[in-house]
Amino acid sequence: MSTETAKGLRQPKRANEKLFRTLGIEPVPDEKKVEEAIRHLDDFRNKLRSFVVTMENCVKCGLCADNCHTYLGTKDPNNIPAGRADLIRKAYKRYFTPQGKLFGPLVGAEELTLETLEKWYSYFYQCSECRRCSHTCPFGLDTAEITMVGRQILFWLGIGPQLHTATAGAILKTGNHMGLTKAGIIDTLEFLAEEIEEDRNGLKVEFPTDKPDSDILYIPSSADFMLNPNTLKGAGMFFKWVGANWTMSSRITEAGNFGYLMDQTRIQREMVTRLYEECTTLGIKKIVWGECGHGWRAAKMYVASYSDLPGVAKIPMTHIHDEVAALIESGQLDLDPTRNSQKITLHDPCNYVRACGLCDQMRVIMRAVTSDFVEMTPNRERNFCCGGGSGVLFDDPAMYEYRILASNKKAEQVRETEAEVLCAPCSICKAQLYPMVKEHKLPVEVVGLIDLVGHALVFPEE
Amino acid sequence: MEQFVGQIMPYFTVAIFLGGVTWRLWRWMIPRIMHNITLSPFPGTWTAAVTWWVWQIAIFWNILKFDRALWIGAFPFHAALIAIIAGHAMGIYTLGLQFHMIAPLLVSADLSVWLSDLLGTTMGLVFLVAVLYLLYRRFTVEKVRAISSTSDFLHLFLLLTIAGLGNYMRLVPDAHTTYLEARTFMAGLFTFNPVALPQNAFFMWHFFFVQCLMIIFPFSKLMHVFGFFWMRWMVNRPFKEWAPGMPGAKVQVTK
Amino acid sequence: MPFVEIEGKQVEVDEDGFMTDPAAWFEACAYYFAKGEGIEQLTDDHWKVINYLKEYYATNGIAPMIRKLCKETGIPLKEIYELFPSGPAKGACKLGGLPKPTGCV
Repeated sequence: MSTETAKGLRQPKRANEKLFRTLGIEPVPDEKKVEEAIRHLDDFRNKLRSFVVTMENCVKCGLCADNCHTYLGTKDPNNIPAGRADLIRKAYKRYFTPQGKLFGPLVGAEELTLETLEKWYSYFYQCSECRRCSHTCPFGLDTAEITMVGRQILFWLGIGPQLHTATAGAILKTGNHMGLTKAGIIDTLEFLAEEIEEDRNGLKVEFPTDKPDSDILYIPSSADFMLNPNTLKGAGMFFKWVGANWTMSSRITEAGNFGYLMDQTRIQREMVTRLYEECTTLGIKKIVWGECGHGWRAAKMYVASYSDLPGVAKIPMTHIHDEVAALIESGQLDLDPTRNSQKITLHDPCNYVRACGLCDQMRVIMRAVTSDFVEMTPNRERNFCCGGGSGVLFDDPAMYEYRILASNKKAEQVRETEAEVLCAPCSICKAQLYPMVKEHKLPVEVVGLIDLVGHALVFPEE
Repeated sequence: MEQFVGQIMPYFTVAIFLGGVTWRLWRWMIPRIMHNITLSPFPGTWTAAVTWWVWQIAIFWNILKFDRALWIGAFPFHAALIAIIAGHAMGIYTLGLQFHMIAPLLVSADLSVWLSDLLGTTMGLVFLVAVLYLLYRRFTVEKVRAISSTSDFLHLFLLLTIAGLGNYMRLVPDAHTTYLEARTFMAGLFTFNPVALPQNAFFMWHFFFVQCLMIIFPFSKLMHVFGFFWMRWMVNRPFKEWAPGMPGAKVQVTK
Repeated sequence: MPFVEIEGKQVEVDEDGFMTDPAAWFEACAYYFAKGEGIEQLTDDHWKVINYLKEYYATNGIAPMIRKLCKETGIPLKEIYELFPSGPAKGACKLGGLPKPTGCV
C-alpha cells in the first residue's frame, strides 16, 4: 500500500541517533535490541503492578474492539486494545510464564523479534492512551499502561517519533514543547493584550510573566502561544476579572508533558521539577492549570508520585475549569451567554473525563457562557477520543492518513449534533481537530472553553 | 487409571491449584502501584468504590452497557457456573437437602431434593448453551477470533466437555450417579482415606477433566476471577481533590 | 543528519527536511524548499511572510503566533494557507529556514 512504509507498517518518522544522544539515550544497536527489550520488560514486571495485572488477566472477550476509535477507524486487529497489548503479551508469556515456556504458540506465547519491535513502534504510536478500553473493560484492564510501557522501552532502545523526541529536546532546553523563549513569550503576550484592548473597548489586561510574590501560577499550554490565542486571552481576562495576583513562568510555560507520552522518567520529571522550583522562586500559593488533556493528567495524577521535591504536598493545584465552575456555581461571575449564541457542542477530552474527574465542571461553564449548547453522543466518560490523543499529531502522509481514519468516529459524532462550533478544551484535541474538521468537511469552528469564558465575561469598564 | 484419577491425582491437583493461585497472587503483589491511575468519575469513598465493584460483578454492568451480544452469553455462563459450583458443594454434601436445611418449615425434604435436581438440570443446560454460544462467537465474530489463541478455544472446549459429561449423567438414567455415591467418594478424599471412584466411566472422565481445569487454572487467563479485584483496586478508588478557590483574589468562592 | 545540496553548498536538514541551523539560510534555500512544498513561484506575498518570520525569529528565537503573523503582514490566514499549502507553522517556517515547530501543532 502506498501509504505504508516498506515494512508494511504504518509508522511515524523516526528521530535520529544524534537527537537521542542529546536526551541522554545511547541508541541500542539492532542485534542487542531484543535482548534489551526483554530485560526492560522483566524490570517492569517487577515494578509496575498495573502492567502485570493487565498482562495476565485479559480473557480476550473482544469487548474493547468496538469501543476503540483506532479499531473503528482502521479495522486492523492489532488496533483492538487486547490485540495491541498482545504485541507485548506474547513475549511476556514466552519469557515470564511457565505455560508460555512449555507450550509456546498454543497459549499465545511468541519469541520477541526485531519485527515485533517494529510493530510496537507502529501500534503503540497509533494508540492515543485515551483509556476508553479501560473504562469499558469488564475488569478495568488498562491498555494505556501497556502503551506507556511499550513506548518507554522503545524510547530507551532509541526508537521514537521525530515529533515526540524533538519535543523532548525542546523541554530540556526551554521547559516547554514549542521551544518558546522568554522574549517570544513576552512579545506574544503584549500582542494579545493589545488585541484585547482593540476588541474590547480599551479593556486593559496584563499578562504577567515571572512576576515575583505572585499568589497564582497559571500554566498555559505552549501551543496557545502559536495556535490558540483566544485561550490565553480568555485566561488573562478571567484572572483580571477575579482580581487575582497571578503570573506565568517562562521556565515552565507548558501545561502538557510529552515526557508522560514516551519517557516517563527523565523527561516527565524535568517538567515536575521545574514546576516546583518555580513555585518556590515566585512564592506561589496555588497552581492553576491551563487547557491541556494529557498534561492535566500528568500533573494532577502523577506529580504527587513523581516529584523529588517536598513542596508538592503543600501547594494546591486545580484546573482553570475547576476555578471558573466554582465561581459560576457560587454566582460570582458576570457572564453574558448571548455573546456565544451559536449552536455549540462539547468534545470531552479523554484525560479530563476518564482520568481527572473533570466533567461536570465543563458543563457548568458551558451552560453559563453559551446559549445554545448541545451534547454529542456518547459524551462524558463514554466519549470517544479525537484521534490525536497522546501526541499522535504526525504529519507524514501515512500517519496523517491514520489520524483522519482515527477521527472518523469523532466526525460522525460532531455531524450528528449539527453544531456550528466545536468546543475542545485541550491543545492536542485542538491541534488534531483543526485539520480534521477540514478533512471531514465539517462546517464547525474549533474553540477552547476558556476562549468562550473570556468572550462572555462582562467587564464594567468595557 | 481409575485409581490414579480418583485416589492419587486429586491431591496433586489441589496442591497445584492452591499453590499455583497463591504463587500468582504473590507475584501480583510484588510490583507496586506507582501512580494513582483511578478512572473518573472518582468514587467519593471506599464504600462507593467497593459498591461499584460489586455492581460490576453482580450484573456484569460494563458488558451489558457496551456489548449486549457478549452479555447474552457471558452473564448466563458465569451465573450458571456459580450456581453449579455451589450446587455441587451443597447438593452432594447435604444429599440434596440443602433447601430443607435452610428453610425447614417452608421446604420439605422431598421438595428440596426435587428443587436440587431441577436447579442442577436447568443450570447445567444453561451453562452448556452459554458455552456453545461463546464458542460460536469466538469462531465467527472476526474481531474476537483475531485476538484469540488456541488456548482460548481449548478452555471453552474443556468446559464444554465437562458440562457435556455432567449433563449426560443427569439426563441419562443409565449414566446416573447418586449424591450418596459422590459424597462417599468425596468424603474419602477429604479425610485422606480415598475410596474407589463410583463405577461410572462418565463420572471418572467428568472428574478427570475438572481436575485438568483446576490444574491449568493458575497458569491461564482463568485467574481473571482474582484479577478483577486486583485491577479494580487500582482503577476504581477514591481520589481526594484540591478545593477550588484562589488565594489572594478579590472574588472568592462562597460556600 | 542528512544534507541537501543547494547551489553547490551542503545544507544540513533534520528528519522532516527542515534546516537545523537558521543562520545558514540563504535566499536559494527558500526556492529549493518551495519546490518540495509544491510552491511553483515565490511571489512578493511569499517573501513578505518569509521575511517577517526570519526577522521575528532573529529577535525572539521562536516563530511568531500565527495571528500576529497575519496581522503584521496584512495577509489573512486563509491566504497564507493558499501561499503555503502545509500552513504557516510548517510550510512557511521551512522556506525561511526556521526549525520545525514541536509539541501540539
